[in-house]
Amino acid sequence: MTPAASPSPARNRLAGTGAVLTLAVLLLLPSAGVPSNVIRLLLGTFLWVAASLAWNLLGGVTGQVSFGFAVFYGLGAYTAAFAISGGVNPYVAFAAAGLVAALGSILIGIPTFRLRGPYFAIATIGVNEAIRIVMSNLAITGGASGYRLPAAGRFSQAEHYYTALGIAAVAFLVSWYVMRSPFGLALRAIREDQDAAADLGVHPFRCKLTVHALSAFLTGMAGGAFARYTAYIHPDGVFSFATGISILLMPVIGGLGTLPGPVIGAIIYSIVQEEMVVNFPQFHLLLYGALLILIVLFEPGGLVGLAKRLARSVRGRMTGGPGEPAVARARLGKVGP
Amino acid sequence: MTDLLVVEGLTRHFGGLAAVTDLHFQVKEGEIFGIIGPNGAGKTTAFSMIAGSLKPSRGSIRFRGQEIAAWPSHRVVHLGICRTHQIPRPFTDMTVHENVEVGFRYGGRRTAPRGPVTTEIERLLEFTALSAWADTPAGALPTGNRKRLELARALATDPVLLLCDEICGGLNSAETQAMLALLRRLREAGVTILYIEHDMRAVMGICDRIMVLNYGEKLAEGTPHDIQHDEGVIEAYLGRRASIRSAGGVERRA
Repeated sequence: MTPAASPSPARNRLAGTGAVLTLAVLLLLPSAGVPSNVIRLLLGTFLWVAASLAWNLLGGVTGQVSFGFAVFYGLGAYTAAFAISGGVNPYVAFAAAGLVAALGSILIGIPTFRLRGPYFAIATIGVNEAIRIVMSNLAITGGASGYRLPAAGRFSQAEHYYTALGIAAVAFLVSWYVMRSPFGLALRAIREDQDAAADLGVHPFRCKLTVHALSAFLTGMAGGAFARYTAYIHPDGVFSFATGISILLMPVIGGLGTLPGPVIGAIIYSIVQEEMVVNFPQFHLLLYGALLILIVLFEPGGLVGLAKRLARSVRGRMTGGPGEPAVARARLGKVGP
Repeated sequence: MTDLLVVEGLTRHFGGLAAVTDLHFQVKEGEIFGIIGPNGAGKTTAFSMIAGSLKPSRGSIRFRGQEIAAWPSHRVVHLGICRTHQIPRPFTDMTVHENVEVGFRYGGRRTAPRGPVTTEIERLLEFTALSAWADTPAGALPTGNRKRLELARALATDPVLLLCDEICGGLNSAETQAMLALLRRLREAGVTILYIEHDMRAVMGICDRIMVLNYGEKLAEGTPHDIQHDEGVIEAYLGRRASIRSAGGVERRA
């Protein structure tokens, strides 16, 4: 969980170039004759990437672990579904989906952010379940039988693909901007020590509400795009606890508090999900449980943390001398009595 | 000198325990005001109420005439009151530079600067002898440096009144001298300091006035010389039957 202090300009340029190239390739894929099944997989992945990055802002950067992001995903999905059914332009509907989710996050955040750490996490489970049950019993959501969007013209997979890609790109840019901004600095300070941050003038409650709303907005848009693509949603799907767990799991796998971590986590999750659900419908939950335990025990930094550690040890071996970790260990050795 | 901070009838109960009872005192602009007392005397409790980390049960705290008794710490700091912690609480996964940057961006009497503040941070790190550690994660700092980081972070908020909670605790004598030298320089620069300390030698040498707390109440107040000769204080620290030949005895014992 150690975000890089300030990567060198050369590394920044490299990362920037990589991001632009990736985006270019992804933009060209639909017209390059890629099988539509691959496009479908990518499309789903993009939506998970957006939700994963969004959760990371609150859970990874700010350290507020929420099990309740399905609420925002579901609110976004239903808002978009209703708006599109009512004849609203889909892109306006996605924005509305984000706004409704953000509004919901503020209403949820005001009471729950009075709690800290595990108590906040537990409260989000309760809120999620309560909202799921209410939604399952409302006539307007279609209840347990779900809600079907009216067919709107010709189905274009490429359009859904670009929408999902766009939402993922927005989530990525927002995350990148927040993490290097003074606001991001305050969020990290809150994660490290909320009271000490307040002593230095950070308003923890306001910062948490703001980042919660931002995360919810992005998650809501992803939910909205999902609703439009599948054209059928039901409360026990989009509002389910499992959806919230998935959104939490991805940044944990990839690396909490980092920018590439949630993206990598979402990609791995989507691929594994695709393979596992088809072949072993029950087994995948077991795998995620085991994975979560292994990560928390052995590599809390996720895959990004693991990669950094490997890179350091390789560098240390190549230079022969006491590498970076040795220096860090020497310094750590001096801490405390 | 005018009164910068006026505390009247300050009281805090924890359940049935009165940690601080009916405390009255004033801190004058530009002085170093010490608060001492045996363990559990209520020093840190009083201090936390002034810093806004703890709500008083009763009483008034006025800073430049402004009542701040019910204010949270993130508001108090914008008036120019900032504290350091007895046990340093660095943001461990952030670099020393970033730790100080938080104070710069969010503390202080100005609105958060959006542009770069690197020069000011570097100056502060130099003042607190932390320049060499600027890019080190704060969690990797040894105790002495952590204490100085507490000071640097608090100073980044540009305080009028600096609250130092046992800032020399756990330091060796060379580090203590260096820290006291920093506090003297801050006083010269016009910062008023409210100073809690266990290290008697440090307190006696640097404070203009001292207040002694015992069982949550004020036992004595005066110059270091007065305090060293106060019968009540000697009794609180050493017990009733101790024979004290000189004021130096107080220092050694404590």
